[in-house]
Amino acid sequence: MKTRREVLQGLIISIGGASMLTACGNVAEVIASDTGAQALGFYSDQELALVARISDLLIPRTETPGALDVNVPGFLDGLMSQWADSNTQQTHHRLLASLGQMLGDDFVTATAEAAEQTLQELDTRAFEGGSQYRGYRSLKGLITQSYFATEAGALEEQHWVASPGRWDPCVDIT
Amino acid sequence: MADFDAIVIGSGMSGGWSAKELAERGLKVLVLERGNEILPERDYSDQIPPWERPNLDRVAQDEIAQHYPKQYGGVAYAIKETTKRFWVKDDEHPYAEAPGTSYDWLRGYHTGGRSIMWSRQTYRLGPQDFTANKLDGHGVDWPVRYDDLVPWYEHVEKFAGIAGSEEGLPQLPDSVFQPAFALTCAEQEFKTRVESAFPGRNVIPARVAHLTQATAEQRALGRSNCQARNVCHHGCVYKAYFSSLNATLPAAERTGNYTIVHNAIVRSIEYDAAAQRVIGVRIIDAQTNETRFYSSRLIFLNASTNASAMILLQSKSTAFPDGLANSSDQVGRNLMDHVSGAGASGLIGGFDNKTVFGRRPGGIYIPRYANITEHDKPYIRGFGYQGSATPLGNAGGQIPGIGRKFKESHRAPGPWRISIGAFGEHLPNPDNRVTLHPTRRDKWGNPVALFNVRYGENERIMLEEARKDAVAMLEAAGCTQINSSPVTLTKPGNRIHEMGSARMGRDPTTSVLNGWCQAHDVPNLFITDGSFMTSSACQNPSLTYMAFTVRAVNYAVDLLAEGRL
Repeated sequence: MKTRREVLQGLIISIGGASMLTACGNVAEVIASDTGAQALGFYSDQELALVARISDLLIPRTETPGALDVNVPGFLDGLMSQWADSNTQQTHHRLLASLGQMLGDDFVTATAEAAEQTLQELDTRAFEGGSQYRGYRSLKGLITQSYFATEAGALEEQHWVASPGRWDPCVDIT
Repeated sequence: MADFDAIVIGSGMSGGWSAKELAERGLKVLVLERGNEILPERDYSDQIPPWERPNLDRVAQDEIAQHYPKQYGGVAYAIKETTKRFWVKDDEHPYAEAPGTSYDWLRGYHTGGRSIMWSRQTYRLGPQDFTANKLDGHGVDWPVRYDDLVPWYEHVEKFAGIAGSEEGLPQLPDSVFQPAFALTCAEQEFKTRVESAFPGRNVIPARVAHLTQATAEQRALGRSNCQARNVCHHGCVYKAYFSSLNATLPAAERTGNYTIVHNAIVRSIEYDAAAQRVIGVRIIDAQTNETRFYSSRLIFLNASTNASAMILLQSKSTAFPDGLANSSDQVGRNLMDHVSGAGASGLIGGFDNKTVFGRRPGGIYIPRYANITEHDKPYIRGFGYQGSATPLGNAGGQIPGIGRKFKESHRAPGPWRISIGAFGEHLPNPDNRVTLHPTRRDKWGNPVALFNVRYGENERIMLEEARKDAVAMLEAAGCTQINSSPVTLTKPGNRIHEMGSARMGRDPTTSVLNGWCQAHDVPNLFITDGSFMTSSACQNPSLTYMAFTVRAVNYAVDLLAEGRL
């Protein structure tokens, strides 16, 4: 029997990862047609689609894997299921509901270009301040931390070295 | 005929040294460890890469609430899913706090004790620390002076391995060093500017118990140089940082004179009134609840400051109705820690084209200057700062932007941020104490600890001044975006530098131990964990525990050989 993470990994693969998302745009439809509700642990279909879209737009596939390639949404689903207590879970649900409202009903189904513009506008407002954007910044932090905690994020994107072997206190950036 | 020549209670920072030195002097030694056995190859998690640590290595929130509310509240930075085994579960090992007080008793029960989880900052005390009580009247006078300790500091430093730089500062004497972890370029700039603006203040590399030039003796124990990974709270397969498990216990074991028994919770130390000696230790097995008795000619109590006091208080007899070696009524009193909660951080510019390679285990240290080189203070004693100046990095995702640019911005080191925080001296006060709770018992039937510890006005005033000084130094260094939160004193115990519960002194009526860590009341009982500390100074204290331990062992074994015990 597959674990929830494996199911979610399959889910992301089934929708083609970042390239498919940015190409066809309609995340919710793909998820709804490819999986049953039982495949999801913490997130609803709509929540998963929202998290997937935000993750994809924040950390897309470039020369290195993107957030969907390494299944950040599935990782967060597991984190909320296994790590979070009920208060954090409810807060996270409310955060996604609030974000969904901020981003609009068509954010998940919009074209990549339109969704990117919408998220960019939200991101700009969030970093100008305002307590109503704390949730977004929190989610952004969680997505980013999760991505760089994956093998691809750590090794391929950030060139993290497990055992540096020495301390060099002042290195020129070339 | 006793079962052993010596029993060492506790296998942590000082207990490991007791075991090593006693065994190397030819005594048959039994170490009693109340916790479980730690096997590095099985229990260290430093080799697990981040992507194999579940849930960002976070302990489930419900699990924290149930098992680790105190421990996690105190050291969240160290308690991870893959390290939680090194910390006690609060619900299994409860303690109590007097009304209106709060105390952090942060600890682990296993081979090596907290020497596995310590933060490895390692400093000698200075000459001023041994005369402070006498000069200002707080506490009792140390029966020892700095010069008495110098050869013993050297002894432990050579074996343990301390990375640091020779600075020639009288208040923070140099150790026997291996090469320091050098200052970053921003730290070097900070040092130049601070030392220019504030003559008498110094910014130096942190001194840490890490190997950077392992000796043949250290390599023979399987230890090698620090790999700059900074995963020390997970253990270290390279054995690069000093711990009992990495160094002293293996050294004891290779003598053939060493035995360790785990899951051995001390019920009492038994006293023979006729002989006026302790004769052994009664324990309860943590797993089977079986009680056993081990006899010995000599006992070294190294259970840790709070636990050692509790063991003494539990060990009542007709001769010592208030607890073993407690004719002075000082056992459990004068409990000290270091106090933090004041500091500043800011950005330090000019290094956008620089970064670092590796993750060193320490940063910078600003040795005490208050009442050393500056004498205009509204408080007595002083504090040192620990800190660092490193690239901030962007891993938290808290920078604007989305898409490729946002993703790739994480490759850049980001702005350089400097942060310093004070560690201040805590004055001895007999009202600050640990006692046995009058009614509550743990699952093995031992009384739980009851803490009643507060900071005083000197600590409060000192930390307020430390905050101002921190801001002034960052301003002098040209930092921007300086942030310095209002002072919030750390809870007593939070620095995990408990000291003083069986202080040494010259007068048996006002102190528990003499200058050799030997109980005034019981000649074959020695206590060499933090209990003996007569004042706290402001330096991280483990090195001083080590030095006093080897000095005490040498003294005790000589006495034993001369038939004077």
